[in-house]
Amino acid sequence: MSTVATKLQSPQDLQRYREQVLARRDPAARAVRVCLGTGCTAKGSQQILDRFRQAAAQFGQEGMAVQTKCTGCHGFCERGPIVVVDPGNVFYPGVKEEDVPEIWRETVIGGRVVERLLYRDDETGRAARTHNEIPFYTAQHRIVLALNGVIDPTSIADYLGAGGYAAVAKALHSMTPEQVIEEVTRSGLRGRGGGGFPTGRKWRSAREARGEPKYTIANGDEGDPGAFMDRSLMEGCPHSVIEGMVIGAYAVGSSHGYMYVRNEYPLAVKHLRIAIEQARELGLLGEDILGSGFSFDIRINRGAGAFVCGESTALMASLEGRVGEPRAKYIHTVESGLNGKPSLLNNVETWANVPPIILKGAQWFASLGTEKSKGTKVFSLVGKVKNTGLVEVPMGMTLRQIIDGIGGGVPNGKAFKAVQTGGPSGGCIPAEHLDEPVDFDRLTELGSMMGSGGMIVMDEDTCMVSVARYFLQFLKEESCGKCTPCREGIAQMLDVLGRITRGQGRPGDLECLETLGELLEDTALCALGKTAAYPVLSTVRRFREEYEAHIREKRCPAKVCPGLFRYAIDAEACKGCGLCAKRCPAGAISGERKRPHVIDQVKCINCGACFEACPFSGVVKV
Amino acid sequence: MQITIDGQAFDAQPGETILEVARRNGVWIPTLCHHAALEPYAACRICVVEIDRGRWWQVVTACNYPIRGDLTVQVNSRRARRDREGVMQLLLARCPESPELRQLAARMGVAATPYPKVTEAQRNCILCGLCVRVCEEKIGASAIALVGRGVERSVAAPFRMASEDCIGCGACAAVCPIGTIVVRTHEQEVEISPFKTRVRLRRCAACDQPLGSELVNEVLSRRRGPTVIQILTNEQLCPRCKRAELARQLTAAAPNDGSGRLAPDGITIRRP
Repeated sequence: MSTVATKLQSPQDLQRYREQVLARRDPAARAVRVCLGTGCTAKGSQQILDRFRQAAAQFGQEGMAVQTKCTGCHGFCERGPIVVVDPGNVFYPGVKEEDVPEIWRETVIGGRVVERLLYRDDETGRAARTHNEIPFYTAQHRIVLALNGVIDPTSIADYLGAGGYAAVAKALHSMTPEQVIEEVTRSGLRGRGGGGFPTGRKWRSAREARGEPKYTIANGDEGDPGAFMDRSLMEGCPHSVIEGMVIGAYAVGSSHGYMYVRNEYPLAVKHLRIAIEQARELGLLGEDILGSGFSFDIRINRGAGAFVCGESTALMASLEGRVGEPRAKYIHTVESGLNGKPSLLNNVETWANVPPIILKGAQWFASLGTEKSKGTKVFSLVGKVKNTGLVEVPMGMTLRQIIDGIGGGVPNGKAFKAVQTGGPSGGCIPAEHLDEPVDFDRLTELGSMMGSGGMIVMDEDTCMVSVARYFLQFLKEESCGKCTPCREGIAQMLDVLGRITRGQGRPGDLECLETLGELLEDTALCALGKTAAYPVLSTVRRFREEYEAHIREKRCPAKVCPGLFRYAIDAEACKGCGLCAKRCPAGAISGERKRPHVIDQVKCINCGACFEACPFSGVVKV
Repeated sequence: MQITIDGQAFDAQPGETILEVARRNGVWIPTLCHHAALEPYAACRICVVEIDRGRWWQVVTACNYPIRGDLTVQVNSRRARRDREGVMQLLLARCPESPELRQLAARMGVAATPYPKVTEAQRNCILCGLCVRVCEEKIGASAIALVGRGVERSVAAPFRMASEDCIGCGACAAVCPIGTIVVRTHEQEVEISPFKTRVRLRRCAACDQPLGSELVNEVLSRRRGPTVIQILTNEQLCPRCKRAELARQLTAAAPNDGSGRLAPDGITIRRP
């Protein structure tokens, strides 16, 4: 490569640069890729990478080259840390530091596979040599996550080698802004941040809006509990987001870009910062991009972690340096957004979908998915499911295919109860709707929503009243407090739910919840408040009998709410060890040694100490 | 353009709000966080009405919904009334002790609230933000702000201490729709409650009657430059003494010569 700092002046320059990158690559070269996504890092993947680097350095002195690189999230977080060895694309999940010498000796140097470290299917027992043989991956269709886990997110050369920025070259040099918008419109892409608004239509409004300058903004303020799609994208493939933004900015005629990322995502901030710096050095951001005459640059703004700042107007208020509170959107932000100027805001995942659409065409994208929801969607599959992680599937895949097929179903032989989609404002979908296809409209019809793509699986041990209370508690803490219905209404609903879970429910409570829920939906200022009641309304609708058991019989069917179920000793399982009696703070357990013990229900205070103490599962909830 | 409210057609200018047109034509829509002199805020949600969106009716706040074309509005539809009453019930639960709020509730037909009091980070305050906004937008002092989030939200000066920026003008108390903010006059100070701020009291130089904050005079004259008002207010007199003093000066120094000019201070008296 010539000097790295030379700016690329034309699409030909870009092409030449790419060829140089590829020419320097040896297809037979040995390479170790270690996932440094947040999940794997938490499980110690940095130490694993360091060990590999040490080994490679030693090896390098002997004249042999082994490339070691970090990658972004592979999505299979349940089985992290993940190490992939080339050639052969050998996939090792759950690698421990002490496994490094063996992988190095056998696979990297020897080219042999370490059987014991391979992924093994729970049911068939078959080992998978590459990720393509693992059911978790086979049913996925990766577009935005395609390069996650493959490229080094801190290397623009890696991204360019994989075809990066070709879409920018194509858009800037062979398409008019109108054509770009037309392409995005025809692709049927809809906003991935939750609203599902047609992206092309938004771009057109932004293009037609009057005012200078126009702003292009990426919303990376992902705050849903259990969601990490945008995070993994920004950490694992930051250039794809930047590339999408350059194309969008060109389409609407914008020169200023902002990347709004929450500060709790330090790795995302770091990788984006590196990526922006690298793109500037190569002239892919800044003045006169690729000699097209179009100029655009991006600044990173770190959010302070308020959930409501993911709402577009609150985000823009925050960008302006004001308190992150929403305002009315009767005049859309594409007309009057940041600093009162036309502003094009899209979610990180939406942006990352743009380059493939420009490169492969609207028709290709529109061929994926359902009638009104095109392309793929990344879900963070979490909760009571075997394979938690990030999955990208075509729209229209059924919930069952995602949860049972990719996710491997509910663990520990428990029964599936519900899946909560759409983050804290989403709803719970029960088992009878598992065969429904997942797309924007169907999920809304089911009383839930796509949201940003959170998918929380719940098993039979989950109390739906407690779930509703949990989400509402989250929203109570995250409500900005500006408008009355959200601030007061959520607090009132939570008060009712709190009473119900304590066994103090009253007749009329459900009607009260429904009244308040409708009031919020009608009158709250922003989407946070308008949808805040969904978890409650959807569980009241789908699991009404569970609420009624709490209210009328003072009984929690899932045996979660303290005081709404009792502890008892299973005489057959009890070995009479006396541990429970020793731990019981109320002195409610008695019995002879080596004989089944008994709980005195009058004395019992339902603290659960005996349940925790019993080593034989002899204490049961009844 | 034309706006139809509950079946009656009215003329409207582009950019006007539903509330402005309604008020001009005598249609009552309750408001709390709205003040004609301030930018709309749309936080209290007590002014919600329904508008026709073709295939559906949308609930919007009248105080800040801008008219951009012909519009059909329902102020008294079942849903709009139910929503406004619901919001009022929530506010009554928060501030049961405010007579002003109860009065408005009664006018809306809300007799009581079914909800208990569950939020009280600030006593007897509906967090409409009028005080904060008038202090920023009109007085330019920004002495108080909305602090905290969600149910913890309250109005306060920095660190909940007496504010150094407060000029004691009492505008916050004047706009408070439920009478929570009070200006108290002490022997030598003006106190703005509940913000703990105390500023020096100005008294009439002639009759010693309390005249409000001393700082207000300073700040206003600094901002306006030397004007007739300054000349008149610098006398440190109460309105009554000021009138008496002005009349004395006028009659003593410039007998009416019909020219409209007043010799000593160059003050022009315009004749009707």
